[in-house]
This record gives sequence, C-alpha cells and structure tokens, in this order.
Amino acid sequence: MAEYRLDCLGEACPVPLLKTQKEMEKLKVGDVLIVEIDHSCAMKNVPEWARNMGYNVEIEEVDDGQWEVYIEKTK
Amino acid sequence: MEKRKEYYDVVIIGGGPAGMTAAIYCGRARLKTLLIEKSLIGGLATYTSEIENYPGFPEPIGGTELMKLFEQQAKRFGVQIKLTDVKGLRIEEDHKVVSTFRIDYYAKAVIIATGGKPRLTGAKGEENFLYDKGISFCATCDAAYYTDKKVMIIGSGDAAIEEGIFLTKFAKEVHVSVIHDEGIMDANKVAQEKALKNEKMTFHWNTMVEAFEGNERLERVVLKNLKTGELIPVDVDGCFLFIGYIPNTEIFKGLIDMTPKGYIITNENMETNIDGVYAVGDVRDKFLRQVATAVGDGAIAGVMAEKYIEETDYFTNEILKAKNTVLAYVYNAVEAKDREYLMKVEKLHKKYADKFKMCRIDTYKSDRLAKRLMCEKVPCIAVVKEGKVIKHIYDLEDFERELLSCV
Repeated sequence: MAEYRLDCLGEACPVPLLKTQKEMEKLKVGDVLIVEIDHSCAMKNVPEWARNMGYNVEIEEVDDGQWEVYIEKTK
Repeated sequence: MEKRKEYYDVVIIGGGPAGMTAAIYCGRARLKTLLIEKSLIGGLATYTSEIENYPGFPEPIGGTELMKLFEQQAKRFGVQIKLTDVKGLRIEEDHKVVSTFRIDYYAKAVIIATGGKPRLTGAKGEENFLYDKGISFCATCDAAYYTDKKVMIIGSGDAAIEEGIFLTKFAKEVHVSVIHDEGIMDANKVAQEKALKNEKMTFHWNTMVEAFEGNERLERVVLKNLKTGELIPVDVDGCFLFIGYIPNTEIFKGLIDMTPKGYIITNENMETNIDGVYAVGDVRDKFLRQVATAVGDGAIAGVMAEKYIEETDYFTNEILKAKNTVLAYVYNAVEAKDREYLMKVEKLHKKYADKFKMCRIDTYKSDRLAKRLMCEKVPCIAVVKEGKVIKHIYDLEDFERELLSCV
C-alpha cells in the first residue's frame, strides 16, 4: 500500500484531471494518490471523477485555496 | 476496520450558501459545529460567473468569491470544516449518526444542505464525454479552455443564457439549443435581450439533443428538431448542459420524507419528519432556489437546531436523569388560569419537596417538550420516574392524592 504524490500546482482545468487519470492507472489496488491542486475548478472534477470510479476520496485544505486530494484505489 | 467516532452538537451536510449560513448561526450560538462538504466549499454558487442579485453587493461578484466570504465568516465562529463525502445518516436513540468513509459523526442535530446536481440529457453517447471529455456544467471553470473554440449550450433558463453570454468572451461561436418555439426562453428578459443581440450566439429553436458523438473527446452534438424530426449535426469542441438540477438525496431515501422528485419536505421551520433533522437550501421542496433564499433557510435551521439542542439537554439532564421523581408542570405562561395553577402546584411541591423535583415547562414559545412528555393538553402535570412518564394529571383543581399515589 504505497502512497504517491502528484503535483498539479499552478495547473488549470482540465489538466489536473487528465494527469490524475493517467497516474491512477499506474497504481495498484490499495495504493493512495495525493493530488496537490490550487485551482478551484479542479476541486469540482477531480474528486467527482474519482468517486464515480468507486475510489475513496478525502480532501485536506492545506492552505487557503490549496488542497490535497487523497484518492485510494479500491479496485 | 472499526470506525472512529466523533461527537458534535450539530453536523451540517453540504457547504453551499444554505449550509454555511446554518453553520454561521450554530457557530455563533457556540455550538460545536461540523460542516461536511464533498469537494469545493460554495456548492452550486461557485458554478456562477457573476451574482448580481445578492443584496449587499451592489457590483456583481463571482460565485466562488462570494462563497469564500461565507466560509471565512463561518470559520471565524469556530465552525470546523471537513472535505469528504457523506455515505449515510442513521438515527440512534440519543444521536443522529452521519457516517463517512472513515468516521461516524455523532450529532444532537443534523442539517441537510446537500443541494442539487446538474441534470443530464439522457441522450445517446452522453456518458462517454462527461467531465473532461467535452460535456461540462461549469462555464466559469472551463471557459478559458474554450478560447477561440466552438461550444454548444443546452437550455434556455437563467443559467444557460447568462453563462452563454459569459462564454462569448472566450469562445468564437456559442450555439444554444432551446426546446421552445422561436423567441421563447425561460431566462429573465434582460439576459434574453442581451443574448439575442450577441453576434457570437446562434439559436437552434425547437431542439433537443439526440446524440453526443466523437472519439476520445466530444466532436459533435446532434440536435433533433422536435417539430420536423430533422437531425441537425453541429460540430463543436465542447458542450455545456444547463437544463436544471436534481436533488442530492439518494442517501436519505426511506428515512426522510421527500416529494416524488426527491426534494425534502419541511415545514416553515425547516423541520423534516425526523426530530432534530432539518433541511435547507436547494434540496428542500420550495419555489425559489437562489443564494438569497438559501441564506434565509440556513438562518432558520441554525436557530431551530440551537433551540432543539437546548431543549433536548434540559429534557435529558433535568427530567429523564433526575434522581427524584419529577413533577413537571406544563403550562402556557400567558394564560391567567395556568398561572393560578402554577402557584397551587408550587405550594404543593413545597409540602412534598423531599419526594419530588419540580420542573416548570412553559409552552408559550414551543410545545416540543409538552410533546415529549406526551401531554394531550395544557395545562397538565406529567410525573416522570426513572426516565419514564408514569402519569398525566389534567384535573388541576384537586390532585394532591393522585400525585402522592405516584411516589
């Protein structure tokens, strides 16, 4: 159960989602990807896409307008 | 894995304007308040490029920007915010339990502010192009991406037309599919006039989406003329759906009363069919869904939750958990007769102070405690022993013997 980080700071939609999708493909079941984002638009599509895939998602606001999205690959 | 438990006075589900206003009121009432939002604080308001009719902001303000101010205000009152998805709500004896993937939050009161999500067209191929593949619901988020490109808008309400106008600042062509006859739109008149004058906007009247087509990304929207049946393929780089919303209430089905469409039914105090559970904002069955009305709902629910918790604490600690037998006099303080009986009851209580603990319950502002004591009418005396109501006395002319029989 490894943990990986994906830096999407400074990137606008739809780049963070595209990068997240690519990265998630490489992960094994049980692994967690932490996506770092600072564009509010990515907060709308990245978590929603991941939840629709059936993954577990939790988000931390690490700074004002900066978030870490934890995505656990469940299948 | 055993779930972690956390205790709060109030848990608010949903961080749009209604949820945040409820949070501001609860926080200010010094309740231990948690607000849970599944992604971005601000809800659907953050999908709006400009809000022009929220009082207090004479110049248009961006939805995200306005919601940021709400959030700051809630945080100032000590509201805790957790960004995660709520999986379910269940009712246990003394608590409402809001569960997320890792934690069960035990709350005395719960406020549901889960809002709505954009409705889909149901047309062929739609699911293949959602999110980043060309079908979008948020012009403010994706407008820049479509600079000098061609987009289609589905719908003719305020959101469709206003966001369509906003998109013309970026895109080179904005097509609008309208279900109505030529010239008829659901949007406000000002927006309609602006849109009809806008050279970048092209309207397709009497149409609906038949299919979304493309390979990796959306390349074409096929419209269907409802009168002639003619199919109209329009090549586009992206498509925005503004055809209304559906309430986010799946997880409450079977527990909370809803309309056939899934909106939560409340009374004017935002109370649902379950004591201590409130619903506010777009998720509620009501006529007008705006930031301004969401704020009103949130304020009411915040105050109602505060009163409910105060009453529950009093009921539990002073009545149910009392060591002595409780003599609860339930009355309406504005009635002269009730006040007369009060003096009588107090006098009698003095005589038997060692046997009874007396509680005065005024129903003038709220009859909820009377209901919890199962009083059929007021005034009355409810006798509570070891957490249970063992007797109601409605004849207050002569009740000494009846009262003593309870000890």
